[in-house]
Order: sequence, then structure tokens, then C-alpha cells
Amino acid sequence: MSLAAGHNQGAIPGARFMDPSVLARIGNLELVARAVVDGFINGMHKAPYFGASVDFAEHRGYVPGDDVRRIDWKLWARTDRYYVKEYEAESNSNFSVLLDVSKSMNYGSGAITKLDYAKILTACLTNLVHHQRDRVGLVTFDDDVVNFVPSSAKHMEVVLHTLENVKAGRPGSLKKPLQKLAEHFGRRGVLVVISDFYEEPDAVIDAIAPLRFRGNDLIVFHVLDKAELDFGFTDASAFEDIETGEQMPVVPDAFRKEYQSLVRAHLDALQQRFSANRVDYTVLDTSKPLDHALYRYLSSRSRMMKVR
Amino acid sequence: MAFLAPLFFLGLAALAVPVLIHLTQREKKMVQQFPSLMFVRRIPYQTVRRRKIRDLALLLVRLTALALIIGAFARPFLWRPDAATAIGPGAREVVVLIDQSYSMAYGDRWDRAKAAARDAINALGPSDRGSVVLFSSGADIALRSTAERDRLVASFATATPTPAATRYGPALKVAGSILAESPLPRREVILVSDFQRNGWRGEEGSRLPAGSIVTPVLIGGPTDKPDAAVTSVSLARSTFSNQERVTVTAAVANRTDTPVANDSLTLEIAGRGIQTEPLNVGANGSASVAFAPFTVPSRNMRVSVRAGSDALATDNVFHFVISPVAPVRVIVVDPGTRAGGGLYLTRALSIGDAPHFDTVLRQPANLSDDDLRRASVVLLNDVDVPLALGRRLGRFVQDGGGLFVAAGPKATWPQEADVLPASLSQPIDRSRGESGRVGALEYGHPVFEIFRAPRSGDFSSARFYSYRSVTALPASQVLARFDAGTPALVERKLGGGRVLLWASTLDLSWSDLPLKPVFLPFIHRTMVHLASYTEPAPWLTIGQVFDPAAASAKAQATGRLALTPSGRRLPLEDEGSQAQVLELTEQGFYEIRGQKANSDVTVIASNVDPAESDMTPLDPAEIVAAATGNTGANAQATNSDVPLTPQAQERSQRLWWYLLCAGIVLLGADTLFSNWLSKT
Repeated sequence: MSLAAGHNQGAIPGARFMDPSVLARIGNLELVARAVVDGFINGMHKAPYFGASVDFAEHRGYVPGDDVRRIDWKLWARTDRYYVKEYEAESNSNFSVLLDVSKSMNYGSGAITKLDYAKILTACLTNLVHHQRDRVGLVTFDDDVVNFVPSSAKHMEVVLHTLENVKAGRPGSLKKPLQKLAEHFGRRGVLVVISDFYEEPDAVIDAIAPLRFRGNDLIVFHVLDKAELDFGFTDASAFEDIETGEQMPVVPDAFRKEYQSLVRAHLDALQQRFSANRVDYTVLDTSKPLDHALYRYLSSRSRMMKVR
Repeated sequence: MAFLAPLFFLGLAALAVPVLIHLTQREKKMVQQFPSLMFVRRIPYQTVRRRKIRDLALLLVRLTALALIIGAFARPFLWRPDAATAIGPGAREVVVLIDQSYSMAYGDRWDRAKAAARDAINALGPSDRGSVVLFSSGADIALRSTAERDRLVASFATATPTPAATRYGPALKVAGSILAESPLPRREVILVSDFQRNGWRGEEGSRLPAGSIVTPVLIGGPTDKPDAAVTSVSLARSTFSNQERVTVTAAVANRTDTPVANDSLTLEIAGRGIQTEPLNVGANGSASVAFAPFTVPSRNMRVSVRAGSDALATDNVFHFVISPVAPVRVIVVDPGTRAGGGLYLTRALSIGDAPHFDTVLRQPANLSDDDLRRASVVLLNDVDVPLALGRRLGRFVQDGGGLFVAAGPKATWPQEADVLPASLSQPIDRSRGESGRVGALEYGHPVFEIFRAPRSGDFSSARFYSYRSVTALPASQVLARFDAGTPALVERKLGGGRVLLWASTLDLSWSDLPLKPVFLPFIHRTMVHLASYTEPAPWLTIGQVFDPAAASAKAQATGRLALTPSGRRLPLEDEGSQAQVLELTEQGFYEIRGQKANSDVTVIASNVDPAESDMTPLDPAEIVAAATGNTGANAQATNSDVPLTPQAQERSQRLWWYLLCAGIVLLGADTLFSNWLSKT
């Protein structure tokens, strides 16, 4: 692959993934997503949890009222008992990405902003799921729902087109748009929330948790810039909040330790609360390749399948 | 520790500037966009802002450098009240200035001045150093900065008053230079003089080094003895029986409080008295005495007017030189082919007696070498010059003569003789249409200088019907141009003389210039300029300089020497045969002659400055104030018990210098340090 920027052999041996900053220079998200997913799949083609979407699940004893066509006659012949075959309920599930497009997502200390990173991630995930014949959809939100693409097997291009045109323009909040969406996602499916979560952990959980109430599988990607994590500034400056315009004089050398501990506490709190709510939570550093996120997603799906 | 200028410590407030910059400015210089201040806001800001100064060492270096520089400007010194005692009276640098002008010869003033100087020198302590400066219009260091009192006294023991006038400025400047070079902390000037008002013309930049003391010693007293001073003479010339006669009138002043009575005034010629008149002048009055006229038979007559002896003999005599008025000899060379060709010219030259023009009319063929030897100027009035004549005239000009060429229709000049300032071409006929005018004059040139002022002569009124087209040579100067732009009068310097080319005639054939009022002064100025004629001054004053080269352009140019009134022989050329000027320092007659026996002799009369005989004193405090910047307080501070002033102590310690150097070194270190920090 000529576009390969490097090898990341620490995550998955043999897999080659692309540097986000290189991907950001490619305007066509479809091409980006295909390149990433193809590369990812090539590295994972023997993975045991990747294959048919309609799988046998288990047998259970026949009870009157069950469809007699579902009785496993071969098992009856061996055991002289009636058993009914049970399969995966949804072979073609709904997959939607809930993408935060608030102004704070428009920050990037390096070559790529958090929003660009999130867009590439969304495109990759959507492309990956589309390969599985699942229905894909997209919701963008800031302090309200901005774009809504319903889940459909035919909406891959619409999703990519919407992603292309997404701009971060307004301050954001989680509660209001996610409440609306929680009421909307009635059918069970997979929901991926991508945001920088600049709210208190309890407020985040309050906003996110209702999405699970209808039985949706919830995966949360917390996208942060490297500078937001390690606060590696050197010069004393007036720091301006991108969303509110508020300014504060900051001496980074003096702030750094305290800031890092506050961020770490925030992430730990989110991790703890999401775990308690059985939400898969991953922190993504925009300076790192995308393989981590994809691998996280797929392993999450595998784990959930095993749980069933 | 004390400070001469403690107000400079207000500048310490400037130390707050870098601190404030470190604390505030650095925070505001840049705006950093950040997604959310959610966590930043939780960190207490105030404590951070006040506490955090990066590069504290750099800040300290800068503050220290500024403080050192401010401290240097405050002029610190270690105050030692007993400094004078510790140093002792020997640590003085004393300059004794002795007035040697001729007014010091009045009565016993010179003896008293020397006695006062001796007393001052004898008062020097064993550690003191002294200098003796004798001054009049100039200042000479008799002995410089020594502790040997005997040599100091001997340096002026045989000195006598000079005929020069008093000037305090040069003496104070010399004293200032001696004091400035002295390493001793206490500096003093003892000024022994009669303090004539005429000798002081303001400060004249004669400020002594700070902390210097001036002690005036007034050698004055009442002017109770009469002093008749011959201040000037006037010469009235007349002609009697073809002989020039001069009547001398002498002005005599008596500026003392005692009248001059029953004295006499004698007119001397060549040292022999020929006439004596009685002289009576009232106290602080003046009189004039006229002598009978006498004939002036020869050049350089040495005449003196001498009064009888009195308390100040120097100004009793007044010398001057009388010579017959020397005419400017002009040879007008005219071919005589045109009637009245030289009429206007010779008429113009026959008028005037300052100078008088001795005009001789010659045909070109009759111009002899003897004529040329006698002549100052040769005027060629529209002459066809053959080659031989051209070469002779060229040599004449090279030897210092003047040549005027009026280029009419017949004028020619041989090309082989390179004398003319311009080449002659064909005549330009302006008789039809508008006649030509002289449009542009070089008013800065001596010929046209008298026409510079408005209504002092209008050349443009003269009409020219024809003139020769001439092309000026590069080395020549165009003094006048016709309105068409072609040169009208061109000058060239050749050897010791000059050549003027007039591109038209000096009669009425080509112009009406001879009928215009400017014609006469134009011809006179032209001849005077070509002859390098200058009115000889009957006398000069001591202190003036005489330029022998300018006085006699045709005189022998090399090997001249001057014979002073005291009989000394002074060569007037240095080793490189460069002519030197002669500074008059003696009273009497100077004689300038060549080394050959029959060489031309110039006599100069040198007189004392008559203003010096006015002995009106001024307040010495005026000089003291101007020299020291103090109003007389230092004049009384004369003995060694006075402690050193703070200025003197500060000057001797020079702590500011070390502080300033340290500050500058720290600033340099700051630059290196900050560069290193910015790279790391």
C-alpha cells in the first residue's frame, strides 16, 4: 500500500495501518475508510469472530406453541427428546455513529483535529460494518441534533457524504441531543458515540446511559488531542476557550502537573462509570493510529457475542 | 559612602520594569486556543501569576546591571572628612600666571608682580607642584609642574614686560590643561595681573577643571603718574612742486588721573628728530598734534612720533612707514590705425590717484623689454600680435605682470604662444536686430565686486554691435558673458601674473561701453587687479601677522628673511622652501629683504596695542567666576586647611567608573546568557 505511513506492530502483529495525519490529507473519506479497513481486514482475515452473520446459538427444550419446523430432528433421533434450534436474533443489525461536532472538537495541536480524526474513525467503522451487510447510519450533534442519517443498508454513501460536509460550529452539550436520540433508537442495534466529553462524568453518564435502555450495544470513543492529555505547552499565554471565548492567563509549567492529574481523574471517573453501566469506553489519542479504535470495536463485538 | 548626584537613585524605580514585564507582559503576549478551560479553571490562577518567574537568574543579572549603572550615575564616593589632612599641603598643583603685558611696566607693577609670584611659589608645600606661565596676548609655559621652587622662581626672574596686550583667555586655557593633566587632588591657579578690563572678553572657553581654585593677586594701585600714549597718526598727502609731501597729525591720549603737562612730542624720521611740539594732555583726556609737512623722497621712510618719558614708556612712541604713492604703470599697446582707438582708454587711466595710473602708449613694434620691466600691466588694444611679441608677453606674465587683451576686429594671437585664456574666433555681428548685452557677471571676482550692490553700475546698459566669439580654455575662468552665452571677459592665471581677454573693443567701433558710467571703474578695477595692487599699510599692531608673499608679488620669491627691531634675523621660509608669515612681536621697524644686496626691501612698522594703555581694572571675581563656575567663593579659599570638596574626593576615587564597567560587563553577560537560554 503506497499510502502506508508506517507499521504499528504493537497492536496487532502483521497489520499495517495508516497514520491519522496522513489520512487527514486525503479528502475522500470513502477512499480513506476503504484503505484503512482493507488493510485492517487483510491483517485479521483469519480472525475466528469474523464471518457469517447468521449463526447457530443454542438448543432449548420444546414447549408447546413453538414452531414445529424449528425442532432439530437429528437431535431427536439421538436423544428421543424434542429440542428447538435457536439462532442469532439479528443477523443484520443497525449500526449508528453519534458524532459530536461541537466547536471543541475542532481543536488540533498537530496535523489533524479531533473532528477530522473522528470523521475518519466514523468512516472506517461504517465501512467495516457495511462489509458485514449491516445497516449504517449517522447522527451528528452539538447542543442539538445537527444531521440525522437513519440506519439503512443503502446509506453508506449518504453517511460518507454527510461526514464530508460536517463542520464544527457551535458549542456543544450531551444531554439534550442524546435524550432525543435515546427516544428514537427503538430497535436494538449498535450505537457508537464519539465525543471529547467536556462535561462532568455524572452528566456524561446521565446523557449516555439512556441510549442503552432499549437494548442497544453502546461503544464510546473519547477522542482527545495529545495536548489535552499531557498539556505540553511551554510559553505562558492567555488560553482561550474555543467554545465560550473565555480567556485565562496560564503558565503551563506551573499548571501541567495539576492539569494532568485533573484529566486523569476525569478519565478514570468516566471509565469507572461507563464500566458500571456496561458501556465499552475507549480513550483515543489523535496522534495515535486508528487501529487501536478498530481493534477495540471488533474485540468489543466479539466479547458481546460470547456473552450471549 | 556618599553620592554627588543622589537624585539619580530615582532611576531605581526603573528596576520594576523588567519585573513587571516578567510577571505580566509574558502572559499577554500570546493567545492560545484550547478546547475547554474546564480543568484549567480549577487551578488557582492568582498564586501562580505572582509566584512564577521563569529564568530568575537572568532577571537578577539584568536588575543588577541596571542598579550598577544607576549607582554609577549617582557618582558615589567614600566620604573622608580628614582627606585634606591626610593628603597634606604638598598635594597641590599650583599654576602661577604672571601678566607680562606692557601695562605691567607702569610704575613698579612688574617688580610687585614678580614679588607676588615669588611669594606664591615659596608658599608651596613639600608635596606641592608648581608651574609658571607668562602671558600677555599669548601664554608661554616658563616651567611646567615641578616641585623645585628655586627653578620656578628662576624661570621668571629675568623676564620683562613684553609690548603685547593682555589676554586672560589663553592663559587660563594653558592653566586648565596643566591642571587637567595633574594627578594631584587639589588644583589652584594664582593669577598675578593688573586686571585690565580690556584684557577680558568674556569666558572664551577658559573654564578650569572642576574643583579648581583661582586666587587673583591684583597688582594695581592708583594711576597717579602721567602716561602719554601716542595712539595713532593720520597722514595727509599733498603734491608741491612735483614732490609728494605728507602732513602727520598724531593723536595722544592720557588715561591716567594725572595730567601730562609741559611734555613734548617729537617727529623722527629714520631715527632723527626733525620737529618737536609741546604736549599738554589733561587727566583722562586726549590731544592731537600736527607737524609741519615734509617731503617724501623715497620709499620706506621710517617715521616715528615720540612723547617724552613718563611712567609707561612703551606706549610713548608710534612708528609708521611712508612711501611715495606708487603708480600702477600701464602700457597701452595700440596699433594706431584707427583714429581715437585708445582715446577712451587713456582718458580713463589718466583719472584717479588711489592708485595713480602711469600710462604709456606704445606701438606694437616699439614695445621694448625695458618698457615691460617697468610696467605692471600691458594692455593690447586690438593688436595683431606677432609670435615674438606673444612670447615676450608670455614671459612678462610669468614674471608677475598683468596682460589685458581687447579683442577687436584685428586682434590676433599666435597659437604657438600659450598665454590667452581663450581661443579667438570670428566676430559676431549684432548690428542688425537687437544689439548684444553683457548678461552675466561674476560679482564675486575683484573686478566686478564693486558692482555687486544695487544701483552701483549697470553693464547691461552698454550695447555691443560686434564681439569676437571666444572659447574659454579649461583652466580659465569666465568672468562675464554676453547675452548669447559667449564669454565676454575671461581670466587666466599664468605663473605669477594674470591675463584678461575682453572679447570686444574698448572704443566706440564695436560698442558704446566707453560712454557708460561703468567704463571708468571697470578699467580701473581691471588694471588694479592685473597689477595685484594693494594699498600698503603704514603700520601694523603687535600680534598681527604679515604675509610677505602677498605684499610684493613681483618681489624675489625665495631666500627672504626678516630683520626684527631687536636685530634678530628670521628666515621667512621653512625647510621645504614654503613661505611663512611673519608674526609681529616687537615694537619698531621690521625689514624684509632678500639675501642679495640689491634686493627689494619692505619695511613694516609695528606698534603696541593702544588699548593696553587704558589701565581701567575689572573686578577679579569676574574672571574667577568665569574660570571656576563659582561666584568668588573660591577666590578666598587659599590655604591648606580646607578639606577636600566632595567633588574633589569623588574625582580622585572615580568609583563611578568601576560601577559603570561592571554594569556594562553584566549587560554583555546578560546577552550571552539569554542567547544560551533561548537555544536550550
